[in-house]
Amino acid sequence: MADAATTGKQGMFFRSSFERNAQINGWMFVMPALVLIGMFMIYPVLWSLWMSFQVGRGMNLSFGGLSNFRRLLDDPILQRALFNTAIFLIVQVPIMLTLALILASALNSPRLVGRAFFRTAIFLPCVTSLVAYSVLFKSMFSADGVINDFLLWTRLIGEPIPWLLDPFWARIVIIIAITWRWTGYNMIFYLAALQNIDKSIYEAARIDGVPAYARFLHITVPLLKPVILFTSVISTIGTLQLFDEIVNFFPDGSPGDSTLTLSVYIYNLTFRFMPSFGYAALVSYVIVILVAILSYVQFLVARDRRG
Amino acid sequence: MQNSFKGLRRAAGAATVGAVLLSATSALAVDVTVWCWDQNFNGATMEEAARRFQEAHPDFNLEVVIWDRADLEQKLQAQFAAGVTDGLPDIVLIEDYSAQKFLLSYPGAFEPLGEHIDMSKFAQYKVDISSVDGTAYSLPFDSGVTGWFYRTDILEEAGYSQEDLQDLTWDQVFEIGDTVLEKTGHPLFSIRVDSAADTRYMMQSAGSWYFGDDGQPNLENNAVFEESVEIYGDLLKSDIAKNVSGWSEYTGAFLSGEVASVVSGVWMTATVKSNPEFAGKWGVAPVPRLNAEGSINASNTGGSSWYVLSSAPEKDTAIEFLDEIWGGDADFYQKILIDQGAFGSLLEARDGPAFQASDDFFGGEPVWLNFSNWMQEIPGVNYGIFTYEVLSAITAQVGDLTSGDKPTPEIVAAISRQARQLTQ
Repeated sequence: MADAATTGKQGMFFRSSFERNAQINGWMFVMPALVLIGMFMIYPVLWSLWMSFQVGRGMNLSFGGLSNFRRLLDDPILQRALFNTAIFLIVQVPIMLTLALILASALNSPRLVGRAFFRTAIFLPCVTSLVAYSVLFKSMFSADGVINDFLLWTRLIGEPIPWLLDPFWARIVIIIAITWRWTGYNMIFYLAALQNIDKSIYEAARIDGVPAYARFLHITVPLLKPVILFTSVISTIGTLQLFDEIVNFFPDGSPGDSTLTLSVYIYNLTFRFMPSFGYAALVSYVIVILVAILSYVQFLVARDRRG
Repeated sequence: MQNSFKGLRRAAGAATVGAVLLSATSALAVDVTVWCWDQNFNGATMEEAARRFQEAHPDFNLEVVIWDRADLEQKLQAQFAAGVTDGLPDIVLIEDYSAQKFLLSYPGAFEPLGEHIDMSKFAQYKVDISSVDGTAYSLPFDSGVTGWFYRTDILEEAGYSQEDLQDLTWDQVFEIGDTVLEKTGHPLFSIRVDSAADTRYMMQSAGSWYFGDDGQPNLENNAVFEESVEIYGDLLKSDIAKNVSGWSEYTGAFLSGEVASVVSGVWMTATVKSNPEFAGKWGVAPVPRLNAEGSINASNTGGSSWYVLSSAPEKDTAIEFLDEIWGGDADFYQKILIDQGAFGSLLEARDGPAFQASDDFFGGEPVWLNFSNWMQEIPGVNYGIFTYEVLSAITAQVGDLTSGDKPTPEIVAAISRQARQLTQ
């Protein structure tokens, strides 16, 4: 009895000691990652939250209470940036994802000759250097660039289109550029997911005489829904953070601020203009909140359809 | 254990010796770094200055690093904000419009040069631009006295001689532009859709600026500003100006001979001269004036000054260098005036031979004397700290300015609203 009790106690002691060791070891293993995340993620996030209450020019900062929020509510530039971002989001993301989906199912066809070549060619834009392609696009879309020359030659247009000089066309150029760059990237996700769809489903549909477009709409698209959700979430986040293309295409500002995005505005507030670090930090929280809301909405939409 | 300690000590010893050796060699040659933004202009003048300083100080070595002007300012701003001084230069060029922004936002970042160098040698207005509470922080560099650079051959083909281009208003310039376009097919100007920089000299020609005495935007109900915006809009709309985007397209248009003229600061001389094909075919007329009351045919665009960073490792050498050449060598100023069109601010240099000389590139005209005379007349204004914020507020309205759908007062109101937001 006593023996049993001792053994039991001993057993318990050993177990808890082992557990403590395991716990300590576990924490030790994740510690480097945690420290780094703390230093480079959590600390900056908290600090920027504190910063968003600061007002002042440059390094002369002081606590300003809610004055940055008041500024935020009556900011015509922020409204313009939100409007531009919304246009990119509503126009560009659906075009790109549809295009990627169509390309993916076309390139998935085993009958297509040179599949590997086309896959690589369409994926290639997203690994090209951003600066190189910006310079190239800028020269192609300049008033006397190859695009205008070609359109004039085909007599589709009577006079050159002011691609980079006009607010409307500037947006079109940005939409073309980011579609060109990121379509292949999204296509890869769809191609990977297509491999997981059972071929027998298509065979059965074909035997039942379902036409190709219906197979695409009623088999491919529903079965790819989780991937489509994923790509639309990352594309939304990417669009909200759109920055590099804009500053490389329009280093001194786009015509009429027609392609000014939230990220570019934050950059301007911090580095181009008289630095308002506090207000810039607050505007960056606008992006965070927008990303959170839009992602949540997209999840809701996808869940509803499933149910 | 002992062995490893010995090894460590030996390594530390070697490192110390190495460090001592390194610092000894670096003490022999003094490397001073300068950041500026134009290889043909301010970069070239700095290199010339370094050559002259090296004659008496053979161990002096100057490294000139060229950035885009906006990039340079953004880089400075980022490093000041981060509190990191590694990799910053000893001397940096800052445009006059941004001077007060930097001095007020980053107190202590720049060396008060007025405490080391006698500032009475320089034009007072340049010293004032970089002064905070009576202390001067920069070594004044160039004036932005503005002229109308034009191609004499194209204007003559359209029937205009030098006399016809004196003391004009913008209305008259638009008429000339129509005739030139009709007779020669050349637009008169290139105009940037991404920068309203032209409104700067328009405003200053009337002694007005974007801000009132209280530093707040003074845009609505400001007749000078309204007229400047209107002219900028008219240029965007009109065929006499070719719409371009970016600096290189802007300068490329007149360098290639596509457009016939450019209104700019005297510093544009370096760019104009960079295409020798049109040597002898350029002339300089006074800047056109506004209809607004008080506007004259003299103004200023740009202009910049040298600043020494307080954190600079070679601060003392940099100050000595600036004082000796930029603050004392009048002959140096003659050379950079002829070669680069650098209209320096050292007063005694202005009596030198180059400032009286004629220039063959400009058809043998005494252009420097003209610039000198115009400079005496430039109306003084206080640039404040938000010039580029207002410029960006103007370009934000380029769509409405180009289409002409909205009346100017309405556009000015929109500019004013955005400017007030950005200048908080």
